[in-house]
Amino acid sequence: MALTEVTVEITGSIWKIEVSEGVQVEEDDTLIIMESMKMEIPLLSPVSGTVKELKVKEGDSVSEGEVAVIIEG
Amino acid sequence: MDNNVELHQKKDLDKTNSEHEHTWQAELDEIQLRQQYAEKLGGEKNIKRQHDSGKLTSRERIHSLLDEGSFHEYGALTGKANYDQDGNFIDSIPSNIVIGKGKIKKQKVVVSADDFTVRGGSSEAASPEKMVFAENLALDLQAPLIRLVDAAGGSIRLLEKNQSTKIPGYAQWNMAEMMGQIPVIGVALGPCAGLGALRVVASHFSVMVKGTSQVFAAGPQVVAPGVKENVTKEELGGSQVHVHKSGAVHNEAKDEYDALNQVKKFLSYLPSNIYKLPARIPSSDPIDRCEDELASIIPRDKRKVYKMRKVLELIFDKDSLFEMRKHYGRSTITMFGRINGYPVGIMANDPYIYGGSMSAESAEKIENFVDLCDTFHLPIVNLVDQPGVSIGSQAEAKGTIKKAIRAMMTLSQVNIPWSTVFIRRSFGVAGAAYAPRGRANVRYAWPSAHWGSIPVEGGVEAAFRKELGNAEDPEQKLKDLIDYYKRFESPLRTAERFGIEEMIDPRRTRPILAEWVEEAYDQLPQLVGPRGRTMRI
Repeated sequence: MALTEVTVEITGSIWKIEVSEGVQVEEDDTLIIMESMKMEIPLLSPVSGTVKELKVKEGDSVSEGEVAVIIEG
Repeated sequence: MDNNVELHQKKDLDKTNSEHEHTWQAELDEIQLRQQYAEKLGGEKNIKRQHDSGKLTSRERIHSLLDEGSFHEYGALTGKANYDQDGNFIDSIPSNIVIGKGKIKKQKVVVSADDFTVRGGSSEAASPEKMVFAENLALDLQAPLIRLVDAAGGSIRLLEKNQSTKIPGYAQWNMAEMMGQIPVIGVALGPCAGLGALRVVASHFSVMVKGTSQVFAAGPQVVAPGVKENVTKEELGGSQVHVHKSGAVHNEAKDEYDALNQVKKFLSYLPSNIYKLPARIPSSDPIDRCEDELASIIPRDKRKVYKMRKVLELIFDKDSLFEMRKHYGRSTITMFGRINGYPVGIMANDPYIYGGSMSAESAEKIENFVDLCDTFHLPIVNLVDQPGVSIGSQAEAKGTIKKAIRAMMTLSQVNIPWSTVFIRRSFGVAGAAYAPRGRANVRYAWPSAHWGSIPVEGGVEAAFRKELGNAEDPEQKLKDLIDYYKRFESPLRTAERFGIEEMIDPRRTRPILAEWVEEAYDQLPQLVGPRGRTMRI
């Protein structure tokens, strides 16, 4: 099973986490909603699989390129 | 054997039809024999190995790319021949590049195809003269050039073969001139090192096959001793690196057929050279198709995003969109598409990525795409939802502002018809980089459009920092200020002052663009030819 690190695309804050560890996700499902540039910007899953680890929590400030979620699939 | 060659031989070279042997019969037979060795490439064993690794031979690739029976080969007899003691030809190993001309959808093209079955694509068996001939043939014929690259690159053994060394490069090969005259396409179909990498990347469109092709200045065996880095071919220059990160290669293909189909699709939007017009392909999609969904697709809540690619599908001809560099500079979408059958370049922002803002990568992507459309006189439709140049310390460290200004200068220098549709936001420096300056160009806006040097949210906080700090209830004060400034934000107020030419119902975007594209193509005959550009920062 390959692990995919999902990195945040933009510097901002974690506004809402839409998944929890262990749940199944499909490609293009929303994992996290970031708040940046006064907008809610969804972070989509690049692959289908299981959420193995959430590296961030709501309210965290994150920089572009930081790993937010690890998907196994 | 290639159909064309077969046809020639059947037509006039069949000796059984004549009563006696021709004066030159021995030589004619030898040409035929040598042709047969050319067809055999590196032999059955090597061809099987090529197939087993999921790859096609050069001739199979050419066959798959070109219209049936259209290939006319040059230099088939180039290779290393063996002779008996009396100097009679025994057999030969062809050089590992196959070149010639042919047709794609009846349009003339020139192809050069490396063959990995002949000595692993090594430069020892290469014929640089053939490679350069194909490049110049394309320029002379003013026909698109397609390079099917599958070559290992330079070999130190060449020193022994040539008994000397040479300064790199080919005096007769003018890459830059080609880029300004004919479409050039690079396809990576195996490991492409050094010159191979150059032939893929120095192009208007490049595509590489996921998993079986790599592009690098030098491969792992040179990298390991050189910079003490142990990496695989794929880690060094696979599509994950060059399509998804560096942007050196435009597109990724799932297999070789997919790569060749992308080449055909890319060419279908472009003229053969800068003196011709892009070809219209009549469409069955009605020009008055007005999709209801467009009137609600942009959320009223400005914090919410929407899918721009869906917007594009609703507007342009059905199944006409072809996206380039989808995985690089992703906050900007660049595509070819058609409207009423006329090819156009399409730019749009993707609010899902950086909010759609102009990042360093997307600025470079815009510059490259606009130059491409301008070179081949493809009118551009720009669908704008531009929040501005990317902000923050990471963006500054990348020199994003400079790259954004380069993109802006690129736009200001084009000579093609241009249509702008303001979908939602247009702010700041990047908000000014939406269309060429100093040209009559109609701008349309949807009711969801709003613009300015700085958005009300954010702008109010910056301008009233002191007042907000001193306020009894800063949150209420902020809300009041935002509400106050928002009343000026309606695009209809801009229209009152002729700051926008036309406010349109989003559902009517397609018929409006269909009318525009007709006018654009009326202008094009006066705009063809070479393009001059000034220096950019």
